Formats: sequence, structure tokens, C-alpha cells
Amino acid sequence: MENILKLTDMSIQFGGLRAIDSLNLEVNKGEIVAIIGPNGAGKTTAFNCITGIYTPTSGNIEYLGQSIINKDPEEITKRGIARTFQNIRLFKNLSVFENVLIAVHLRYNDNIFTSALRINYKQELAMREEVKALLESQDLYKYRYDIASSLPYGIQRRLEIARALATKPTLLLLDEPAAGMNPHETKELTAYIKKIRDEFGLTILLIEHHMDLVMDISERIYVIDFGKLIAKGNPDEIQNNPKVIEAYLGVEENA
Amino acid sequence: MNKLKFKDKINVDLLIYLAIVVVSVIILAFLDMNKFEYNYAISIIEKSLVYAVVALSMNIVTGFTGLFSLGQAGFMALGAYTTAILTIPVASRPNVYYMNGILPALENAVVPIPVALILGGLVAALFAALIGIPVLKLKSDYLAIATLGFSEIIRAVIASPMMDKITNGSYGLKSIPGFKSSVECFAFSLICIVLMVLIINSSTGRDFKAIREDEIAARSVGINIFKTKELSFVVSSFFTGVGGGLLAMFMRSIDSKTFQITLTYDILLIVVLGGIGSITGSIVGAFFVTAGKEILRFFDEPLVVAGTEIPLFKPGFRMVIFSILLMVVVLFFRKGLLGGKELSIKGMKKYSRKKEEQNIDEGGAV
Repeated sequence: MENILKLTDMSIQFGGLRAIDSLNLEVNKGEIVAIIGPNGAGKTTAFNCITGIYTPTSGNIEYLGQSIINKDPEEITKRGIARTFQNIRLFKNLSVFENVLIAVHLRYNDNIFTSALRINYKQELAMREEVKALLESQDLYKYRYDIASSLPYGIQRRLEIARALATKPTLLLLDEPAAGMNPHETKELTAYIKKIRDEFGLTILLIEHHMDLVMDISERIYVIDFGKLIAKGNPDEIQNNPKVIEAYLGVEENA
Repeated sequence: MNKLKFKDKINVDLLIYLAIVVVSVIILAFLDMNKFEYNYAISIIEKSLVYAVVALSMNIVTGFTGLFSLGQAGFMALGAYTTAILTIPVASRPNVYYMNGILPALENAVVPIPVALILGGLVAALFAALIGIPVLKLKSDYLAIATLGFSEIIRAVIASPMMDKITNGSYGLKSIPGFKSSVECFAFSLICIVLMVLIINSSTGRDFKAIREDEIAARSVGINIFKTKELSFVVSSFFTGVGGGLLAMFMRSIDSKTFQITLTYDILLIVVLGGIGSITGSIVGAFFVTAGKEILRFFDEPLVVAGTEIPLFKPGFRMVIFSILLMVVVLFFRKGLLGGKELSIKGMKKYSRKKEEQNIDEGGAV
């Protein structure tokens, strides 16, 4: 299977705190892989390293066989890694249409002269058509004029995913996509993630606390605790792994 | 699939704006023809137009990109001095530089006014590009302080004796050719404003707004934050420089004191009052502030009611009234008069439709 993402011995240190300690992780093409672990385990930090917001202290990150260490976040996005955020980060005061439209920019060559003087008119039209098609496919077209912050929470989540999809990613990182959702919504989201994986030919790496979703959707799971990888395997293996149970439930003290 | 309504962009609003322009030109032409009678009104209008250009340029960087820059006066000074030096008639130059003489290279350097304005903008843009590299790494208040410092440095350099042969040091420059008519001033301002509006509403402008909204999200969709900030800063400074040139033409004589920090505050006031992130806000604000200061002159005159002189009506009182008005506006319209929205027919229609819907709902409830 083709290797999309590969972390080798990746560590990051903030002052005296080793937030991630030699993490090894692989994601293969077409897979849905989950990272789980208790709060503060370093899951989001790992995402921030992959997307270039943080630079790892040591180790390597390879994407499609090339190291992406020290690359800027925008460069990494251009190479095909898109992400969503734990606490939704939309362009709050812009419309749904604009939110997605901005994410399309990176694939078109514009400069201030062509765009200001409307020399890029055809290109702008193409961008808008593309956004329209994407919004329609994601069932968001009816909200196109709405200001992002005025939307219900669940729609904002979907908009954030749509915005990530607009960059035409190969690898999609989802940071707690089901946060704040009820079981019914979570179920819908599960189906939705599978759907976009197939539709857009994506590889997905996600962080999630909802175990129903994680166990249902993931092909493989990595468990992190205190920055260290404590287990990896398929959902069945993880569910029966004593170390994982210990990390989540604590050790039983025998009298 | 129904076709996208991109062509709807050529809408009622555009026609309305065109109509406003035509009417303005007619009114201004009328005022120009009766120059002596309406001298005062013309000067207020010209000043408002110049301030509208500078306020909108400040809004690009502050309101649309979310960078709080206070370097306006410095960039205006660069544009104003460049324009002035290149347009003062050669015959008047010995008269202007009577104390220290003029640099031989500049003795005969004259270019047409539009070229001088563009060069003024380019000089400001060049300086913006240079100081933007270190300064734009800073955020919010720190950026404001750094740009403020830059603005004062420019002013100090202009006034310094080393620059005597170029800027005439502390004596300032005079005999700058002014606007031939208010229509000319209107034309220059309009071109600047239209260009800025086109930029704000283009894909580049959308990148600016993305950065204002959320830098991390902007990076995550592939926007190069530094490049885009730098671009916004340079574009804004270009138009500020042109605005400075227009101010020099309006005032006919400038010196380094013209470009004190108070000038930046005046512009900031317009931007905040009109609404941060509102194009029409900046334009309306420019007229509101400039005209407001003048109309209130009434309070500076002594007022006699029933034989007794009212004590408060003394020179300077109008600024008290003006400040109170500002406080009222800021208290009741916290986001400025237009609060990030635009004045448009479409908007008004939407507003009235909302009202109607509300009425229907209320009617139904009864």
C-alpha cells in the first residue's frame, strides 16, 4: 500500500515539557486512521506539527515520500494536506460562499493587478462555479449568503470540512469533528466522513473522543498518552488492549 | 443547474453610484463656475475628498486586513513631499528654496501632476515595503507603536538640516500648484477610491479579509500570511502617498508640522467613525468629520441672547461640542456609523424586507 504520511521518531518539546515523545505513525493511501488518547495527550500538537504550525524538535515527517519539516503551513496545504480545527476556525464575518471561495484561491494564479482590474474575470467565474458545485454537493448551497458565525454549530462543522475540501487535499486531518454532537449527529457524521473519503479519494487522519465513531470508522487506531504512543492496531485490538484501558480508566488498585 | 448570477454584479447599486458621480460633477461644476461665492464650500469638499482617499487607504490595512497601523501621516508626508518637489514651477523654485538653495539635480525636475502623484504613491509604497518586512511580524498594539515611530522618524528626517536642499527643512514648501477646479480634485479622488474598491472586492481583497478573520485558518487554506500582509500594507501606503500628494495640492504649502501624529488621529477618527471595514463608511465619515468641524464654527462666535452674552460661546468651544458628538457616536454606534456594512440600495431593500416580514409576523401573532 502506498504510504501517504509517515512520522519517524517525531518529538516536540516546549520548555521542560516533552509534549510528544518519539512518535511513529504511518497513514496509507485511502485509509481512515484515528488518533485517540486522554485530554492533553498531545494529539492536537501532533496535528500542528504535521500542518507546519509547530516545528518538531527532532524526528521527521514525510508526506508522499518528501520531508515536510520546516515547511510553512500554507506550503503544506498547497502540497495537499488540509485540516479542520478542534474549536472551529471559520472566517466568521464572511459568508459561507466567501469562506469556501477563499480556500479555492490557492489553486489559481492571481496577482493584485489581474484581480483588481478584473483581467482574471474568467478565472473568478471558474472559481465561483467550482465553489457552487462543492457547496451543492455538500448540501450547503442554501446557506451561501449566510454569515458563517450565524450558522448552527453542526453546519459550521460541515462548512469547515467543505472549506478544507476546497483546497483539493490528498490527506485530510480532522480534529475532533464530532465534538459537541449528540449520538444521532455523530452517526450522520460517521457516514459523511466515509462518503467524502470515497467521493474525493481522500486519506483521513482524525482525532476523536467519541469511541462509537472511532471504532466504527477507523481501519487503524493509534493511542497516545502523555505524548507517547502506547498502542496501535485495528479497533478490536485496541478495545482489548490493557494499556489502553489503563490509560482511560486508571489502574485497579488491589488491596 | 441554473447559471451562477455573477453578472448580477452589474446591479442597481452600480447605476446609483454612477448617478451620484454624475450629479456630484454637475454640482461641483456649478460651484466652480461661481468660485468666489462658494469658495468656502469648495474647500470643505476638496478637503473631505482628500481625507476620504486617505481614510479608505487606512481602512484597507486596518479594517480589511486587521492590521492596526498608525503610520498614515508618515506615508502622506512621503507622497506630499514627492509630489510637491516634482510639481513646484521651476520659476518659483529659487523663491521657495531662498534660504539654503536647491539640489542641482532637482532644479529642473518637473513632471505632470498625475505622474507626480503616482510617483509620490510609489515612494510611500517603497518605504512601506521596506519597513513592512520587520514591522509586520508584530501584532496589534505593537504594530501600531512601531508604525507610529516610523511616521515620526519620517517627519524628523524631512525637517532635518541635512535634507534642506531637498525638502527645504523646517521652512517647508510652498507655491505647490493647486487643483484647477474642484472637479479635478473629485476626479483624482474618484480614481483612487474606485481602484481601492476594486482591490477590496477582488480575490486579493478576500485574502486580506481572511487574514483579518483568522490568521491560522487563513494559513490552513494556503494563504501566505506574510506576503499578503505586506501586499496590503504596500497597497494601502501607495494610496496614502497619493492622498498625501492630493493634500499638498489642496494646501498649496506644506511643512513637516503638517504631518504630525494628529493628522493620523484625524484619519483614524474618520475610519472608526465611519465604521472599520466599511468602504462607504470611510467616505461618509470623511465628509462628516471635515464638514462637522467647519459647520460647528457657529459655536466659536459670541452669541447674544436677550442682551446677555452667553459665556460658553468662545473660540475653541466648537471642538468641545465636536468631541461630545464623537462620544455620542461611539457610545451609540459602537461599530461606527455603518458598522462594517455598506451603504447600498440592495442593503436597504433587504432591511425594509426584513421589517416587512417582521410586521407580517407580528400581525399574525395578534
